[in-house]
Amino acid sequence: MIHPAALDRSDSKGGNRMAMAGALLTAGLALSSSWVLAHDAGEVTKEKAEKAFSTKAPYSPYAGRNYPMRPLFGDTHLHTAFSMDAGAFGARLNPRDAYRFARGEEVTASSGQPVKLSRPLDFLVVADHSDNMGFFPDLFAGKPELLADPTGRKWYDKGSEAAIEIIVAFSQGTFPKDLMYFPGTRAYRGAWQETIAAAEAYNAPGRFTAFIGYEWTSNTGGNNLHRNVIFRDAGDKAIQVEPFTVLPPYGSDNPVELWKWMDAYEKKTGGSVLAIPHNGNLSNGRMFPMVEAFGKKLDRDYATARAKWERLYEATQTKGDGETHPFLSPNDEFADFERWDKGNLDGSVAKEKAMLEFEYARSGLKTGLKLQQLLGVNPYKFGLAAGSDAHTGLAAMEEENFFGKITPAEPSAERLTETFMANAKTGVKIMDWEVLASGYTAVWAAENTRESIWDAMHRRETYGTTGSRMAVRFFGGWEFDKADARTRSPAATGYGKGVPMGGDLSKAPAGKAPTFLVAALKDPIGANLDRIQIVKGWMDAKGDLHEKVYDVAWSGDRKPGADGKLASVGSTVDVANATWTNTIGAPELIEVWTDPSFDATQSAFYYVRVIEIPTPRWTAYDAKRFGNKPLPGTRMTMTERAYTSPIWYNPQ
Amino acid sequence: MNAIVSIARRIAREPVAHFLCLGALLFAFAELKGAGEAASSVISVPAGQIDSFVSGFSRTWQRPPTELELKALIDEHIREEIASREAIAMGLDREDTVVRRRLRQKFEFLIEDTGEAVAPTDEQLEAWLDANAAKFETDPQVAFRQVHLGAERRGEALRSDALELLQLLTAAGPAADIEALGDSRMLPQSLPLSQRSDIASAFGNLFAAEIFDAPVGAWSGPISSDFGLHIVFVAERRPGRVPELPEIRELVLREFVADRRRRTLDGAYVELLSRYRIVIEKPAPQAEVGAR
Repeated sequence: MIHPAALDRSDSKGGNRMAMAGALLTAGLALSSSWVLAHDAGEVTKEKAEKAFSTKAPYSPYAGRNYPMRPLFGDTHLHTAFSMDAGAFGARLNPRDAYRFARGEEVTASSGQPVKLSRPLDFLVVADHSDNMGFFPDLFAGKPELLADPTGRKWYDKGSEAAIEIIVAFSQGTFPKDLMYFPGTRAYRGAWQETIAAAEAYNAPGRFTAFIGYEWTSNTGGNNLHRNVIFRDAGDKAIQVEPFTVLPPYGSDNPVELWKWMDAYEKKTGGSVLAIPHNGNLSNGRMFPMVEAFGKKLDRDYATARAKWERLYEATQTKGDGETHPFLSPNDEFADFERWDKGNLDGSVAKEKAMLEFEYARSGLKTGLKLQQLLGVNPYKFGLAAGSDAHTGLAAMEEENFFGKITPAEPSAERLTETFMANAKTGVKIMDWEVLASGYTAVWAAENTRESIWDAMHRRETYGTTGSRMAVRFFGGWEFDKADARTRSPAATGYGKGVPMGGDLSKAPAGKAPTFLVAALKDPIGANLDRIQIVKGWMDAKGDLHEKVYDVAWSGDRKPGADGKLASVGSTVDVANATWTNTIGAPELIEVWTDPSFDATQSAFYYVRVIEIPTPRWTAYDAKRFGNKPLPGTRMTMTERAYTSPIWYNPQ
Repeated sequence: MNAIVSIARRIAREPVAHFLCLGALLFAFAELKGAGEAASSVISVPAGQIDSFVSGFSRTWQRPPTELELKALIDEHIREEIASREAIAMGLDREDTVVRRRLRQKFEFLIEDTGEAVAPTDEQLEAWLDANAAKFETDPQVAFRQVHLGAERRGEALRSDALELLQLLTAAGPAADIEALGDSRMLPQSLPLSQRSDIASAFGNLFAAEIFDAPVGAWSGPISSDFGLHIVFVAERRPGRVPELPEIRELVLREFVADRRRRTLDGAYVELLSRYRIVIEKPAPQAEVGAR
């Protein structure tokens, strides 16, 4: 993405900045050099001094800039009572409640507690499961059509006790046919209409974006291949279709069929949709296949369609962080982070090490390089995003304001010690404390509108965070030098001389290695930053895949040791009181980095990982507020982080 | 349990229930009289009804029903009619939560609809907007520039540095070029007219609260934030205001209609309530309300 306005102002002005800084010094006001940016006080002259106080500079530094000034934060993955399982577990908040909450209003959670975000989100996608969408609100409202069926009547009378029975009936295929909410029925249409109406009612261009969306929940054998579908369009187009489902005969569990549905939607309406897969960690080796999928060998068509429709991947959420795994990245000391690696989604099949390679974002990106060579197209050319996957209608993913993944895990004295999921047969067991308060997607969009945010998602100018709202800039090019890290506006320089996250570099100029400008600013109410890292993945001449993590910028005056590793930043966390201080780390980090081992003939990708100093995990806040004792082994601290979309290098 | 009894009693006094009971009584009376020809014992199936059976069937099956199928449809209708009359006569509807909820829903729709009929005039909307102005008031906004100083670089000297910088900038005046000043490269040096929540998303709540108290047209501060201290220049402060009706007509109309609907319903209940004498028994101690 090139922003012409950025080109205009990148360098000529930047060159003068230091001079202006120096100029202030001569204004006759006794002043130490500490006002100005470090390094370049410059030659002090009267001429420069006059320039410093020139009134000619346009007042608004935004004039003429058309690149995004701040990241917009949102949740691309939230369920409400309209989702079958959410409703069954007691969620009563509907899509309208979810949008109200996300834009900063106080609502009453399904558990009866008042709840409000520390600050509004900029956007939200309500992504309810498409299969049986809207069933529960109708059942609890006693909709006559549902009560006419004896089973429906029985469930209605039993109230919330029927939840488990309903879920079992659904997963075992004994759900009464007459009660099924599937496309083509009036009830289903009603649910979809209300989903759209809610988004339309709360979409406020410029202030808050309410996306229309749904989740397609392919889950055969308990293996998670879920995708969230997000519409760029308003209700007039979305209403012309009904969501794609999984259950036959109307739906399919094969993503290839979802892509066909997406294509048909665009052809029919002239609209635009994209899909974001999530939780490869619960797919048992199926999220990023290398050879075949659904009994069919991967081919160029598969790669082309996947790359076209699946622009982003949700790298972190409540059911585990999915960046990479210690088994896959043994030299990455930050790889062992909030992993869910015991089995698939329902725990029916335990994890084997061989599955991991096909489940995590980093290895998926690497596999993509390989498939690009084999098929001519990289199917896994995805940017990175994050969502909550909360089933409460509440995108409340702050550690000290975490309202859980499901309604029974909304704040209570019990949730610290209860079981999230257990499968007696395989012994796979996950405790509630293992659930993450994560995450949000940050989007570099110029405007807070459906079109602008969706377009930024489509060009992958996004990053995912575990809930922090840090600002992260990342640009790649051939000409960045150390001075670019000292300019006042890294964004102007970045867009002017390079491509932002999600972009491509190719055909390295002779003798050049790619250079990257990377900057991060802490969350205005969050913790300081420990370090910025660049993760490189590449394929060598033999076709073997590699990865390496580079520390690029860090707080304080730490020096990497003999092994190249940077010492830990330390910790200020007081677990018992659930507090920390910003006395370590840095509020802002910025650097220009050049790949020290670049080979212009080898394809590669580079993405940024920013790591905060340790802070109390939600479990620490729970233990403090409820005064209860966590189970042995409960993690009580964590390091919030951000993962940017990669910048790819392609030799051709 | 007592509460339920009292609700049941109240329901028994609802006008709709009265109406139904009256119907049932009439029916029973007619039966007693043995007047086989009494209106209530006639189940008529008019030609229009039969037409609608035919068209309903055709929509589903894409063909008209055969004679036998049509007879089955009519028989079914007659059975439904008999069943519902008998069930009402026996009072089955009164014990049924679903029926009662449905009746309540229909009843409320009916009342609400009476409020919907007339579109409000602009005068009405104006008046209503005036009376509910606070609901529509926009947030106050400020436009400002800032120079940031961080503790990481300045340590103990942070505050004195900030005060010194304030002096310098005050001397330089409103036009001071600040582009090269300050410790942060990522924090915006200026924001156009923005409301508090936007300012908070960049600088945090502490800063966003204080910037609204800063004087307009002069360098001031330091204001603190999580990032450190800031010397600020507020160029413009725009107070919140209530938009004119044409700017927000659609929103006002929506809120007006919702409000009118609520008032109509509340009014109707107050009116109807006055026709009843409510008896609420004191709950037994073990059934204490709100106990867990």
